[in-house]
Amino acid sequence: MSLYEIRNMAIEIAGDRLIEEVGLTVEAGQCTAIIGASGSGKSLTCLTPFGLTPGAVSGSMLLDGVDLGSDGSVQIRDVRRRLAGFIFQQPLTALTPHLAVGVQLQEATMQAGAARPSRLELARKLERVGLSRADERLDQFPHRLSGGERQRVMIAAAIAHSPKLLVADEPTSALDASLRSEIMALLDELRAEQGLGLLLVSHDIASIEGHADQLVVMEKGRVVESGAASTVIAGPAEDYTRRLIAAAPRLQDPAPMLSRPGEPLLETRNLGVSFDRSGWRRGKIKALADASIMLHECESLAIVGGSGSGKSTLGRAIAGIGPVTEGEILWEGVTLPERRKRDLAMRRLIQPVFQDPVASLDPHWQVRDIVSEPLHNLRPDLTPAECARMVRKVLSDVDLAEDFLTRVPASLSGGQAQRVAIARAIIASPRLLVLDEATSALDPLVGAEILKLLLRLQGENGLSLLFITHDIAAARRLCHRVAVMEAGQIVETGEMQAVINHPRHPATQKLIAAS
Amino acid sequence: MLKRHFPIFLVLALVMLALLLPFLLPWSYDQIDWEAVRAPAFSGSHIFGTDEIGRDRLARLAAGTRITLMVAIAAALVSLIVGIAWGATAGWIGGRVDEAMMRIVDGLYALPFMFIVILLMVVFGRSILLVFVGIGLVEWLTMARVVRGQVIALKQRPFILAAEAAGTPSVAIMWRHILPNIAGVALAYLMLTVPQVVMVESFLSFLGLGVQEPLTSLGILVKEGADDMDMTPLGLALPGGLLVMILVCLTIEGERLRDRFS
Repeated sequence: MSLYEIRNMAIEIAGDRLIEEVGLTVEAGQCTAIIGASGSGKSLTCLTPFGLTPGAVSGSMLLDGVDLGSDGSVQIRDVRRRLAGFIFQQPLTALTPHLAVGVQLQEATMQAGAARPSRLELARKLERVGLSRADERLDQFPHRLSGGERQRVMIAAAIAHSPKLLVADEPTSALDASLRSEIMALLDELRAEQGLGLLLVSHDIASIEGHADQLVVMEKGRVVESGAASTVIAGPAEDYTRRLIAAAPRLQDPAPMLSRPGEPLLETRNLGVSFDRSGWRRGKIKALADASIMLHECESLAIVGGSGSGKSTLGRAIAGIGPVTEGEILWEGVTLPERRKRDLAMRRLIQPVFQDPVASLDPHWQVRDIVSEPLHNLRPDLTPAECARMVRKVLSDVDLAEDFLTRVPASLSGGQAQRVAIARAIIASPRLLVLDEATSALDPLVGAEILKLLLRLQGENGLSLLFITHDIAAARRLCHRVAVMEAGQIVETGEMQAVINHPRHPATQKLIAAS
Repeated sequence: MLKRHFPIFLVLALVMLALLLPFLLPWSYDQIDWEAVRAPAFSGSHIFGTDEIGRDRLARLAAGTRITLMVAIAAALVSLIVGIAWGATAGWIGGRVDEAMMRIVDGLYALPFMFIVILLMVVFGRSILLVFVGIGLVEWLTMARVVRGQVIALKQRPFILAAEAAGTPSVAIMWRHILPNIAGVALAYLMLTVPQVVMVESFLSFLGLGVQEPLTSLGILVKEGADDMDMTPLGLALPGGLLVMILVCLTIEGERLRDRFS
């Protein structure tokens, strides 16, 4: 008998049927992964049987012989306490900020009625999930820990009461690439050691490859395909699965067709950025040191690195929206001045696109005004009628229909908002786009489309791209060359394929191993 | 709408009443009816009776409400303008300028403000202008802090950076991107400032430091009523009840707005 078995489950919220005819099984010691685009109902499927969403559930759900559907919140609470553990996407918000790590862990251990654990036992639990200096950590508060450490504490808390099933809702999507593989490896280890069943939710097929035994593909609240993970990935039967697999960038993909680079366009020489410490305190924080890069016309350069490596700082300095402390930025051999001193002609050359598409649009403005904002400043020679015509044209360039003109950002999906942001960036015909994690916050299907759009725009307009990302596999689809960053320094540069084949610096090797 | 926002409609109705009553009543707030000193309620044309020197109580209540709310709204507007200007400047420029400006705010916070207002009154004599100045001096501090925090949070948002990259000048970014986005929060705090000011003004008047006779405010009416409460409890109950009602209604609505925006 399976550890956890769902058959013919349906979920309704406020009268809407969101999930229908879902079935899956999780065996002890094995991992079943649910994958699908956002809004496909994967989180609802794994959380609702335990009463963690407002949905009403019907169907049969058996966990270790206990019927979750049978009724009674008492029973569900009991199952949650004894049999299941949960890990969520946002490690910071999932830990209570005002309780020290040790206290949270103690609470998690005692919830199933266990005796109060000793300090030594708690420290051992933290060591089990790979945290160093465990004894010291017990007294620390969540904000003192990094994202990866917090997620480890979450895992320690989720398995503290020795559950039989671990439900992990996108446990790695908020982490950067190299941490991702570490956390996945830890989950594998725990499974093998304790015979834990793992129900894993992810939108990223690449991250679960090699970890999941069973795969369930969901679309719009239904299961479209399921089976052994290796068979599904090797030979997907459904078109939707094929698209999901194709959307996930992989280092083994055939080399993409890229444009042919031209003359040198932009160069930075020993660029450095340091920030003053806040308040009256003396001293500086160095975010970027000695960064020298070269970018040609019609070329794409990837800046790859983990979080905090200074890649965004470099991008912002180049786009003229962040500080520069040392070094210089040259445009076709002429120095570009720093932030506030750039004139409009210089602004027109370089435009940025940001990670969070919704936050990069003013919530009070209509799409029409957002897109035309650069025109008003950078192209004062245009009449209002010409502006309106250009806005229409650029919206069709990014594949948005004309009725988007009067929409507000709140009514756009992530992919649509990012298209609007790209439209704003290209409307004044710049020559370089600085893309700061422009696809990382998007669904893989949508992200792949945005990458395609960028490739097309580069082909049509001869744009140069500076593609800042933590995902070297995604960068490979778009970029000719790559610069790898770590701790504010550029540690390796070269042709994309050459760097991937023969990484020299440990940071590069780690990034490549993670994708 | 009417049911959910009953408090604000109640206050609006009271304000309308206070504005219209002078035209409807045969008596003005400073007119003495020699025939009816200390008249009980519902005697002749005096619906709530008269006070100890024969002035119509309802007319005085309306006048008091007008003055109190006028002081409150004027002081709240001053706090809105000064607070937004100060806070937005500090937040936008940042660095040392921000530090210095906010330390000035902290310094002003630390002063025993009631004591200073009382001193001002004693030195310069009682005047309604001084009440404005005194109250306006303190009430903008909270607003400045709130606005500064909002501006700093907004400044790092990508859409502000995108506007800068699009060549929008700083002043235009401030007017067209930042101010509209903090308007909601500022409005919520404005709603919370009004009852605070009502309270302060009434307190000053109660101490005899507010507006001058024969002008009146709710605070003065409460004081007069309190002096005379063993004879005519109505004189205390009416302005007191009205004051509490206005304070509670405005606070409820203000809290509601604040919850919505933060």
